[in-house]
Amino acid sequence: MLIGAVVLFPAVELVRASLSRYSITGLYQGAVGGRNYARLLQQDALGPVALNTLTWVGAVVGLTLVISLALAQFLDLEFPGRRLVRWALIVPWAASLIMTSKLFVWIYDYYFGLLNRALVALHVVRGPIDWLGDDRTVMGAMIGVGVFVSLPFTTYVLLAGLQSIPGEVYEAARVDGASGWRTYWAVTLPLLRPALVVAAVLNLIYVFNSFPIVWTLNDRNPGFGHDTLITYMYKIAFKSALRDVGLAAALGVVNVLLTLAAVLVYLNTVRWRESFEA
Amino acid sequence: MDWNTIDQQVSTMIQNNQPPDVLNLNAFASYAKDNLLYAAEDVLSPKTKDDFLEAFARGGEYRGKLHGFPILSSARAFFYNTDLFARARITAPPKTWDDFVRDAQKITKLGGGAIGYALPLGPEEAQAEWSIWMWNNGGDWKSGDRWAINSDKNVQTLGFLADLANKHKVTQVNPGKTNRTDGAFQLFKDGKVGMVIGFSPLAKQLDAEGKVKYAVGAMPANAGAAVTLGVEDYLMAFKKKGNQEAVKKFLDLYYQPENITRWITAEGFLPVTKSGLTQMSSDAKLKPYLDLLPNARLAPTTDPAWDKVKLDVQQSLGLAVQPGGNPKAVLDKLQQNATAESGR
Repeated sequence: MLIGAVVLFPAVELVRASLSRYSITGLYQGAVGGRNYARLLQQDALGPVALNTLTWVGAVVGLTLVISLALAQFLDLEFPGRRLVRWALIVPWAASLIMTSKLFVWIYDYYFGLLNRALVALHVVRGPIDWLGDDRTVMGAMIGVGVFVSLPFTTYVLLAGLQSIPGEVYEAARVDGASGWRTYWAVTLPLLRPALVVAAVLNLIYVFNSFPIVWTLNDRNPGFGHDTLITYMYKIAFKSALRDVGLAAALGVVNVLLTLAAVLVYLNTVRWRESFEA
Repeated sequence: MDWNTIDQQVSTMIQNNQPPDVLNLNAFASYAKDNLLYAAEDVLSPKTKDDFLEAFARGGEYRGKLHGFPILSSARAFFYNTDLFARARITAPPKTWDDFVRDAQKITKLGGGAIGYALPLGPEEAQAEWSIWMWNNGGDWKSGDRWAINSDKNVQTLGFLADLANKHKVTQVNPGKTNRTDGAFQLFKDGKVGMVIGFSPLAKQLDAEGKVKYAVGAMPANAGAAVTLGVEDYLMAFKKKGNQEAVKKFLDLYYQPENITRWITAEGFLPVTKSGLTQMSSDAKLKPYLDLLPNARLAPTTDPAWDKVKLDVQQSLGLAVQPGGNPKAVLDKLQQNATAESGR
């Protein structure tokens, strides 16, 4: 019952909307079959937006995993103040995404931003950079925030994974005379694989569907040059000359299928069954 | 409802066949076109209807009948920082576009991060900033019944704005990617900017902060008398079974002079009724805007196609003033889309 109400009903509604035509006011104007899907493919912006999405998801998930691995390793060590550091790491996770994004809008600001002030003071750059307005830096700036907010969750998943590795295997490695790096590659990473797979899959879905960061940091830029499929969908429905709920619903259906496909392909490549049986 | 998501909320309500009884929005024509709204004679008493200022009542007509009832208005005005003007030895606000460029250059030359003119052509309100510059060069959205977005005059105007940014370099960085509220206004409030197009809520904030000395005047014009943009918000009543009497009672109560004037004053906006204008004309703070009101023009809000043209402008105009942007190509595309949308 619950699954039916929470998952099935919206999904059916979404598919139905994608097969319908609506006026700009939202008034239903009849079924149109697959026409919205055909029109979607004709949108000039679709190619660049899809590419942006690939960059966004790939970079955020990739960087997050690499940095989180290092952070988790660090937090696994015994050191004074570890509890404090662990708590501090949760903060960006607890803050609302919109708030975090707004904060970063100010950090990145050309005139008032802390980042430019710091970089200029350190002589890294000669003058300020318009991080969110310059086409070359917008995506990088957004990815930075995406990684920042994804780190806590990912780090904790990996930390839990690290702590579940029994101490005996390290002892065995030491007895065999393995070096630090060798132990990491041959023992830690393989045993961490289940946790890594879970973190990657969840992040993949999460980052793909992330709306607030891209929306907030990109709201000054006209056009669709830095949109992902998710913000593009919203713009199609409400913020562009298309103003078309049906077309946006069609993209919504495509988005869900894409996420599903990406996750399946990923799980297939990492052979997740093996990783859990290992 | 929050102003940022109201379009989405209302659209969802209508999709679900549960329209609101009464709605306050900045667009009405699409709803009238879809035959969702009561006309004025169905829900307004003649006394209320006759009290609307002529221009605003006309701005709420669809096919000759009033559907979007004016609820409040605002007028844009030319703000300038009097401290920066004094330091740059400018004695009076610019009257012509040549004066304007010269003054903007003088202010920029002061150095220390001074910006001559803050030009917000980002997606938030590009159509408003554009309307004002366009009209003050003698151009318009339409010529008669037809769209005239890419007229020679308009191409010239957009070229002028691009030059401000890329040739004269008197604007803030990336004007095509600057919004109004958190961009241009923020810089003006910080005292960095010589000139900006603002409105009464900005004046309220400046007065509250007391940091920037400023004055308010008319736009510099390149053709004829200075023109500004008037914006009206609408109240509209949705046709639903059995709600006509209740809606009528509500609207008549709402539009009683003391009620509507009290609300408009509290929010810092301008009146839309004759009685309201008489009542508010004694307020010295509002005088500059009320003086501009007779010369204020409205965007073509009575055309249902406008609701999409506006969004199109917001998403593309800024690209024309970026380095390497092509004003004519951007306007041509807008014209083409607008014409297709209207079917003429």
